[in-house]
Amino acid sequence: MEVQGFGVLSLLVFLPVAGALAASFVPRNLLGFHRWWALLISAFTLFASLQLYVGFSGNTFHFQWREGMDWLPALGIRYQLGVDGISLWLILLTSLISFLGIWFSFHVRERVKEFMIWLLILEGAMIGVFCALDLVLFYIFFEATLIPMYFLISIWGGKNRVYSSVKFFLFTFLGSIFMLVAIVALYFISKAATGEGTFDLIALQALAADGRLATGPIEMWLFAAFALAFAVKVPLFPVHTWLPDAHTEAPTAGSMILAAIMLKMGTYGFLRFAFPLFPDAAVQAAPFLMGLSVVGIIYGAIMAAVQEDWKRLVAYSSVSHLGFVMLGIFSLNHNGLTGGTLQAINHGISTGALFLLVGMVYERTHTRLFQDYGGLKRRMPMFATLFLLIMLSSVGLPSTNGFIGEFLAMLGAFQAGANANSAIPLWMPVLAGAGVVLAAVYLLWMFQKVFYGPIRNPVVNRLRDIRPWEQAVAWVFVVFVFWLGLYPKFFTDKMQTSLNAVRHQTLQPPGARPAWADVRTIDINANGDVVVVQRDDLNDLGRWTEVAVRTPSGHQPQRLAMRGGEE
Amino acid sequence: MEFITTPHAEHLPDPVFHWAWLILLAPIVGFLFQAALGRRIELALGKTAGRRLLGFAAVVPVAAGFILSVLLAVRLAGMDEHSRLVITSWFPWIDLQTLLVPFELRLDPLSLTMCLIVTGVGSLIHVYATGYMADDGDYSRFFTYFNLFIAFMLMLAMGNNLPLVFIGWEGVGLCSYLLIGYWYHDIENAKAANKAFIVNRIGDWGFALGIFLLYWVYASNQDLLPLGERRYLSFDVILPLAEQVLAGYGPLIVSVIPLLLFVGAVGKSAQWPLYLWLPDAMAGPTPVSALIHAATMVTAGVYLVARTHVFFELSTLSMAVVAGIGAFTALFAATVAFGQTDIKKVLAYSTVSQLGYMFLACGVGAFGAGMFHVTTHAFFKALLFLGSGAVIVAMSHNQDLRKYGNLRKYIPITCWTMLIGWLAIAGIPPFAGFWSKDEILASAFFSNLVQTPQILWFIGWVTAFLTAGYMTRMMMLTFYGNGERWRTAEAHAHADHSQEHFHADHGAQGEHDLAYFLTDDEVRAIEEEEHEHHHGLTPEHEPREVLPSMWVPLVALAALSLVGGAALSGLNPFAHLLGVHIPHLFEAWNHPSVGLSVLDEASAFRESIAIEWALIGASIGAAVLGIGLFARRYIKGLPESEAEPQGLQRLAGEQWLYDRTMVRLFVDAGGKFANAFYRIFDSGIIDGIFVNGSAKLVGAMGLLLRRSQTGSVRFYALAIAVGVVFALSYVIYTTTR
Amino acid sequence: MAEVPLYAYILLSALMFAIGTAGVIIKRNPIIIFMCIELMLNAANLSFLAFAKYHTTPLATTPIEKWNAHMTGQMAVVFVMAVAAAEVAVGLGIIMAIFRLRHDVDIDEMSAMRG
Repeated sequence: MEVQGFGVLSLLVFLPVAGALAASFVPRNLLGFHRWWALLISAFTLFASLQLYVGFSGNTFHFQWREGMDWLPALGIRYQLGVDGISLWLILLTSLISFLGIWFSFHVRERVKEFMIWLLILEGAMIGVFCALDLVLFYIFFEATLIPMYFLISIWGGKNRVYSSVKFFLFTFLGSIFMLVAIVALYFISKAATGEGTFDLIALQALAADGRLATGPIEMWLFAAFALAFAVKVPLFPVHTWLPDAHTEAPTAGSMILAAIMLKMGTYGFLRFAFPLFPDAAVQAAPFLMGLSVVGIIYGAIMAAVQEDWKRLVAYSSVSHLGFVMLGIFSLNHNGLTGGTLQAINHGISTGALFLLVGMVYERTHTRLFQDYGGLKRRMPMFATLFLLIMLSSVGLPSTNGFIGEFLAMLGAFQAGANANSAIPLWMPVLAGAGVVLAAVYLLWMFQKVFYGPIRNPVVNRLRDIRPWEQAVAWVFVVFVFWLGLYPKFFTDKMQTSLNAVRHQTLQPPGARPAWADVRTIDINANGDVVVVQRDDLNDLGRWTEVAVRTPSGHQPQRLAMRGGEE
Repeated sequence: MEFITTPHAEHLPDPVFHWAWLILLAPIVGFLFQAALGRRIELALGKTAGRRLLGFAAVVPVAAGFILSVLLAVRLAGMDEHSRLVITSWFPWIDLQTLLVPFELRLDPLSLTMCLIVTGVGSLIHVYATGYMADDGDYSRFFTYFNLFIAFMLMLAMGNNLPLVFIGWEGVGLCSYLLIGYWYHDIENAKAANKAFIVNRIGDWGFALGIFLLYWVYASNQDLLPLGERRYLSFDVILPLAEQVLAGYGPLIVSVIPLLLFVGAVGKSAQWPLYLWLPDAMAGPTPVSALIHAATMVTAGVYLVARTHVFFELSTLSMAVVAGIGAFTALFAATVAFGQTDIKKVLAYSTVSQLGYMFLACGVGAFGAGMFHVTTHAFFKALLFLGSGAVIVAMSHNQDLRKYGNLRKYIPITCWTMLIGWLAIAGIPPFAGFWSKDEILASAFFSNLVQTPQILWFIGWVTAFLTAGYMTRMMMLTFYGNGERWRTAEAHAHADHSQEHFHADHGAQGEHDLAYFLTDDEVRAIEEEEHEHHHGLTPEHEPREVLPSMWVPLVALAALSLVGGAALSGLNPFAHLLGVHIPHLFEAWNHPSVGLSVLDEASAFRESIAIEWALIGASIGAAVLGIGLFARRYIKGLPESEAEPQGLQRLAGEQWLYDRTMVRLFVDAGGKFANAFYRIFDSGIIDGIFVNGSAKLVGAMGLLLRRSQTGSVRFYALAIAVGVVFALSYVIYTTTR
Repeated sequence: MAEVPLYAYILLSALMFAIGTAGVIIKRNPIIIFMCIELMLNAANLSFLAFAKYHTTPLATTPIEKWNAHMTGQMAVVFVMAVAAAEVAVGLGIIMAIFRLRHDVDIDEMSAMRG
């Protein structure tokens, strides 16, 4: 089942890096080469990542496309990669956004070579984050993304770039330092439990599934360390202030990638590491973190409403939208988890596109202040239409992607809150609804200030509409907005089993938690029955046999232990 | 595609019902056509021919939808009364293990009634709009939005589950937003559009919570549902089981579900306290006001309440709230209409008031009567709005009643058709409004759901009187009186927009990059083209009758307003009094969806012919009294005292200060609070104290430690020596102890 | 001839080290400071040699092992001497460079590295 050595995932991680390495030997004055080379490499990465989708089976929660080999055996560190239904979409999103970001970066005119090299390295590192299955490897990729982004902001950024880039680096680095300590602690805990220390996620989760990893206050502290690292990345209120600065000052491709993908590393981290490794702590902390998410939803929206800077407004809207992702994830039921995960992708599409579109105009006018705009729709009708479509997805209009994510996330949170025996208070999802109203407030105000009214700025008066190739980049996003909005089944089908696994890994009592290491596993089928399935062929991930079915009535104790109310 | 039918049906329904998708898809195709090709066609064929084609292409899908709706309605009417429900589903939208939301359409009397109104009145208004918008700069954009609106409205009406209805619900809100802000050059229009969308979103918040609550209730009661059923939000699953499922819940949840749904209805149907957006929405072109803000979209709330009436009927509290809010809004908006000087604003408040009437009907359990008023109101209010549009066109886009007068001489067709609309809304028999209004008032009087329904009846009666009054005022000021008041009007001054300070840095690549920027010549050409030939209303103005494409729909709607009510009600009240049995067509058609009429159930109604006569008399009396009193006051033209509304009238005109208070409280104060919050809390405390503060703390510590770096080698040596001594003494101390 | 006891070596070594330290701290002339550093290094060398002579490891049983044990201390001395020579060479070079630049080698005046 596991490829020894390198496979497709390694290709995805290292192809961009190798491309960057190759480009570094080419003279810097060959602008055209560097642009097209980077585009070619990212296009090939995108194409290769589509293979992941084609060969991916939605029937199992086990990692697929696995590959691995010993790296530092003395320390129990392995080079190990794999994807499941959660990371699959994030990898596809990464390669797509990177491709579009590089495409749009044809706008960049200074130090093109370095810019493209950093973008490619960033792409490789981000894909690495989403498929690493060893904690040390994950940590390395997690931190490795900071370096290219730091340079992208500090060299190609706006006026306040130095402050922003340092703030971005230190802020996120500070958070992940605690995670590193916790990762090392896990090594020693696993050593105490089995006699052999490991950083292997699958092995560690197998311990957690039996309740042998960490319990009580230690589990709480370790969870807190992981949660801090991810919360900074998400970002949750009140550790969000790096975000508006970094997003605003970064160059367009940087803002796109930052918003679309790097924020998702936080939410992904919760799903992949924090929940399965520290299930009890996650359940205990859920009301608290959910509360922070709700505060973030409202708070980010109010902050967005008072911004006078176009890009900064979009940045604050990210704080608000990511709150919905967290709200859904922490509701820990199927609707909420699906909604949260979908919303993470949606936010990547819609906010990535918003940054792209803002960047298009910024390229021309070199100003981000609302007072310099007004009446833009008269000169740029096509741009206004595209912006409107993307904005509507950010508003969460039904039939766009934003609605599906927010609707399911809030539905899940409401379900979690409405249950009488739940620790999550009902006011949280109810209040989160105000975020949807406020989203309309700040986004429509933004649209009004930029596009409506008379033209007051002579520069705006002379603007030409965006060019066909720019339209093409934006239309790609629009297609995804409606694809996700009208047929989300395409995306949710390959996600559900993995999300169910996370849910049961988190909510079930020790011993009943499904483990990635197991060949026998507990799952829930479409009828809501708990099913024990047996993988009959270790080399074929697609073939499963049900060996036992426990109907809902026959399996009361576990069902009582679950929250969420859909059972 | 697969069919599902009600359990009562004995055999599968006719596959012709699949065509329902065509009703929905036709305007979507029209929308895509206008959006993708509109501009190009206009460029290719020239303005006149291009617009003729585009206008035709805009009307056809809606008219086709109407024909199909009629066809399906006839088919449905031919089916057995209890099996008049067909559901056709296409592909799954949201498909999770815990929730299935397919794209599915519900065809029953109620949804087809809405479809007929939307496509029927809608196609008439489309025809009208081809004339009204003929000289506008952006013809195809208008019809893009207009066709899209029809599609969303049909989705709202035909969707068989709450999320689909929600698509339509917010979709029509979007189209309303786009069309209110259609003339976006004026920032005030854009602000009105924003207000409409945002206030509606507050209602949608409640609606969404209602959906969540319903989901939770039904998903927790799987054992009551059919085995394996995951469509927890589909009407055919939830409506029949409402009583059974909710029996397990306390009065709190049973009341909260309908109330949350009603919050959504209050937003969409512009009821107090969320009606604020509708008067501002008059900023859009008049066909928009007629179609969206009078005939169809704003009645979506009534439709929703009627659709989910089983939940309302389970909670008397929610019924009382619906009736109360409806009655209050009806009265409140009617008073406000007296203070208006803008012809469209009068009609806007009139719409709010009439919508209140419809909710009053729903609140007393007369859902059929409410829907009946939706129908007749669509006829006469669309007529009145389109008529006012004709007046506005004739008067060079001036909307001020005080500038009108004696227009019957200049625009007779508009005048005569609007007179019919006026009598219809006032409630004079045999015009359409009388039948539905009378039914609502009688239902309110006899309702057994509220303790003293006579109070509601009285409020409704007073509102009927006021309605006749303000409509008379509007009509008299517009068409009658000898003074042609625009002849004395002064010229309208244009506000100039001062140049402001800009931060744009248009050096570097900017100035000469032709890929990004227009040349001077191009800018001049565009600006010339854009220059609007907008003549204000001058004293020399001679109003002229509008084009046939505009007055033909007026005549059609006038005909509907004249006979529509009588035909649909089968002259029921009079026939009943005279002992003849003629079925009430509308009620008979709709009762499988919305239940029996209150009047059929109220035994008192059946028993006392005297009360019946009295009620009919009272409702005609109110109309006649209102018309009489106000015709006397306004027949001669504008009274001196109303040149500028004074006192109570002015206070009424300012919505009894409600709008201003809300704006001050939430927009101004909220904005100030948010701004201060951003500066003080986000920038000041979180970022200033915690983030930059900790960075500064580290910096300060560095400054402190830096003092020790004297640069003197001998000092360092001494420090090392002292350190070694201390370290050694510690080692010695610990090892020898 | 009676053997010199170990403590005498250590005492002398400590004395030399203390004198060297005091010199480094007190003196202002870099040449003298260098000499004092030499003194400290040689104090350490003396200790190495003394311990090498007196202190063999109990694990060393065969003569060759004992000899090896003696040699380890002496090896260290050779290294220290080499390092000291290199250090003086570099240090004197730096001092010459500074002297050429400023015509003064007072150590207290050289505070360009002050924080």
